Amino acid sequence: MMDAAVAGRDVALVHDEAKRAKTLRRFNLGDRTFKVITQISAVTVLALLAGVMLALLHGSLLTWQTFGLDFLFTEKWNPVTEKFGALAPIYGTLVTSTIAMLIGVPVSLGIAFFLTEISPERLRRPIGIAIELLAGIPSIIYGIWGLFVFAPWFQATVQPFLIDTFANVPLLNQLFAGPPYGIGMLTAGLILAIMVLPFITSITREVFDTVPPVLKEAAYGIGCTRWEVMRRVVIPYTRVGIIGGVMLGLGRALGETMAVTFVIGNAHKIFPSLLAPGTTISAAIANEFTEAVGDLYTSSLIALGLILFFITFIVLAAARLLLMRMTLKEGR
Amino acid sequence: MSLAIHTEVKEPAETPEEIAKLAEKVSVRRLNFYYGAYRALSDINVNLYQNKVTAFIGPSGCGKSTLLRILNRIYDLYPNQRADGEVLLDGANVLSPKQDLNLLRAKVGMVFQKPTPFPMTIYENIAFGVRLYEQLPKADLDARVEDSLKRAALWEEVKDKLEASGLSLSGGQQQRLCIARTVAIRPEVILLDEPCSALDPISTAKIEELIDVLKRDYTIAIVTHNMQQAARTSDFTAFMYLGELVEFDETTRIFTNPRQQRTQDYITGRFG
Amino acid sequence: MPSLTATGRYHGRRWRDHLATAFAIGAAGFGLTWLVLILLVLVVKGVGGLSLAVFTEMTPPPGSAGGLLNPIVGSLILTALAVLFGTPLGILAGTYMAEYGRYSKLTMVVRFINDILLSAPSIVVGLFVYEIMVAQMGHFSAWAGAVALGIIVIPVVVRTTEDMLLLVPITLREASAALGVPQWLVIRHVAYRAARAGMITGVLLAIARITGETAPLLFTALNNQFFSWNLNAPMASLPVVIFQFALSPYEDWQQLAWTGALLITVAVLGLSILARALSSKKVQV
Repeated sequence: MMDAAVAGRDVALVHDEAKRAKTLRRFNLGDRTFKVITQISAVTVLALLAGVMLALLHGSLLTWQTFGLDFLFTEKWNPVTEKFGALAPIYGTLVTSTIAMLIGVPVSLGIAFFLTEISPERLRRPIGIAIELLAGIPSIIYGIWGLFVFAPWFQATVQPFLIDTFANVPLLNQLFAGPPYGIGMLTAGLILAIMVLPFITSITREVFDTVPPVLKEAAYGIGCTRWEVMRRVVIPYTRVGIIGGVMLGLGRALGETMAVTFVIGNAHKIFPSLLAPGTTISAAIANEFTEAVGDLYTSSLIALGLILFFITFIVLAAARLLLMRMTLKEGR
Repeated sequence: MSLAIHTEVKEPAETPEEIAKLAEKVSVRRLNFYYGAYRALSDINVNLYQNKVTAFIGPSGCGKSTLLRILNRIYDLYPNQRADGEVLLDGANVLSPKQDLNLLRAKVGMVFQKPTPFPMTIYENIAFGVRLYEQLPKADLDARVEDSLKRAALWEEVKDKLEASGLSLSGGQQQRLCIARTVAIRPEVILLDEPCSALDPISTAKIEELIDVLKRDYTIAIVTHNMQQAARTSDFTAFMYLGELVEFDETTRIFTNPRQQRTQDYITGRFG
Repeated sequence: MPSLTATGRYHGRRWRDHLATAFAIGAAGFGLTWLVLILLVLVVKGVGGLSLAVFTEMTPPPGSAGGLLNPIVGSLILTALAVLFGTPLGILAGTYMAEYGRYSKLTMVVRFINDILLSAPSIVVGLFVYEIMVAQMGHFSAWAGAVALGIIVIPVVVRTTEDMLLLVPITLREASAALGVPQWLVIRHVAYRAARAGMITGVLLAIARITGETAPLLFTALNNQFFSWNLNAPMASLPVVIFQFALSPYEDWQQLAWTGALLITVAVLGLSILARALSSKKVQV
């Protein structure tokens, strides 16, 4: 039933051209203005990155002028004689991150494997959410928990065990030499591992989910076990994405401050033992910046920041490029 | 040349002399269209006559939707697409870079294949477009909304729930809402891009009735892959194939006595 | 013809599968165990210090009783300011990337850089703001702290805004353009409305992120023993106070640190749950 008798057929079908033109001029002005505002905002993001680099360069100039590139290879760190070197923090950053990756990556892959293939359907969501909760806990919580709970336990149980076990093994006994402080490089690396775990797990899980179900079904169809499907189908298919995710995790671990600062021990020296204290770039800055007296001291800490920025920038950029390749491959 | 389809075709309304006297609302001259380097439309020449319904038919990929989307320059939203030639609306070339796009689209409205109500109330869906161009007091705005909904044959069904979300309507109702929204801003030409392909037969029939009434006030172009629909609703039909306009004539002649063999083959179902 | 009973080779495969499965289950258990341990300790130790005084009294000198009033208020102020700074900028930038500049080179570059900034070390952000604000102004201030946190907010909001706007169906945009609606009104009335829930989620996630951030505040807002509204002076914040108190040798300070840690964790987890609930709601009017 149609309302064919439309009243007001002579309601103005003709529009007022002049009025429309005025309105349209207003539209165009508004459009141009808004476009410019949003464009400037987008450029600001770039400006931020450039700004950070420039500010760090400016702040650390004194250090580079004083020590040159030797700064990167000197272990000595003496605020009194004003001799500074970045070697110990760089070493600490790299070692703790490596430990974190060595432990975190296999465990993350294991959890992702569990969540995508093994876990019963009902458990998948709750466990997934639990892992994400782990990711949401701020790093300072890891720090104090590490200092007050983990380290004492570590000191009382695992560390003596390690020291005793490897006491007579050449080389390894240097790596695990006492005394058991509780805190130290290994502790920091382990705390970092727990921190980085949920991050890599969620990326790996997302990446695993991109494997087309038909591919997995084909493998199961010829009788592959779950592990074989993972090893022969899923991991090769998602290889690039996994590496990207791992590198993102590495980027996070390298820059992590609070979780490490509490348990690293803050010693600007390189000890061969993993059970000894040390320092990382971010821990050094966090601990010393507000007490730094003298321009060279401050500048050296900023120089450490610059180094960290470069390292993480390269790792993160490479990770993003790899992940971009992965999504391109899917044709998304 | 007999027809295999049984369709209700109207009697030829105009003689060739009368056609020549019809006002050309939209004239397409020598139109070419490119997606990047690929030429999708070749040398199209066609007219939309004032207050008449022109249907564009043809197999998938022949370019009929592409042509429609040139008439209101909606393709301008995307990079790498360009048109070459002339499209005259009341004598002015809308392809000219000087043409204001918002003004063009206020004059040439479009209804899309998929119903697209805005995430607003039914009332707001219609008032939104009107408010852009006119400062109407509330009473006038209410009247305009009611008028548009009546023209779209939707008023009776929604008059008690104007504050409900546009998304709460059925598919057919949503499409009529889109039609109401389009007529609310008083365009002169309405482009319909396969408006019924996502709808059930009853909604389709309602909309076809609508088109017959709407053409009293507007010039209408409709793209459809349903030949019977074209035969039922249109005064003129253009048959397109692989980016070319093969034949353009009165609907009755196209369906009873087409001049081109390709047209004949298409409407008898030789290919589709 | 392959036999249906286990042969030697199959034994090996099955054994490897069992091993891998056991490892995976162990890994999941490993992860969950730490979560439970951390949360458990946090609750047990934190609740022990919970009292009304925590919310009403200032941080005490060591050896006296007190609360966390100034760091709590300070954190709230800093967070609010950071969201005020970072959100509009982030939304505008994300809008450009999804709307006006959708296909442009600039957008590709900005997206890349933005993703890097997302994971950049926050202590570096602190150093940056120190250089441009604290060093220039000659003193620490809440403004500097808010700017530092704001810089951390921006990439999160940019990312979610762009992602949400890109999800708005193309047909909706075409329909509004066909009405002659200019682009900025299409964005305001159609795109923003459709993406609203997602964008709010993004802001909530950003807040959750900065609630726990300590490093950027260490040399910008510094810390303040006393309760202060002065934005031009150092301001206390929960994370920094926890840092200071936890590393101290005083037991009552340590207790306050645990309580503060519990408060932060509850806030962060609460925000994450809220964000998750919002993002699963359907898009309506």
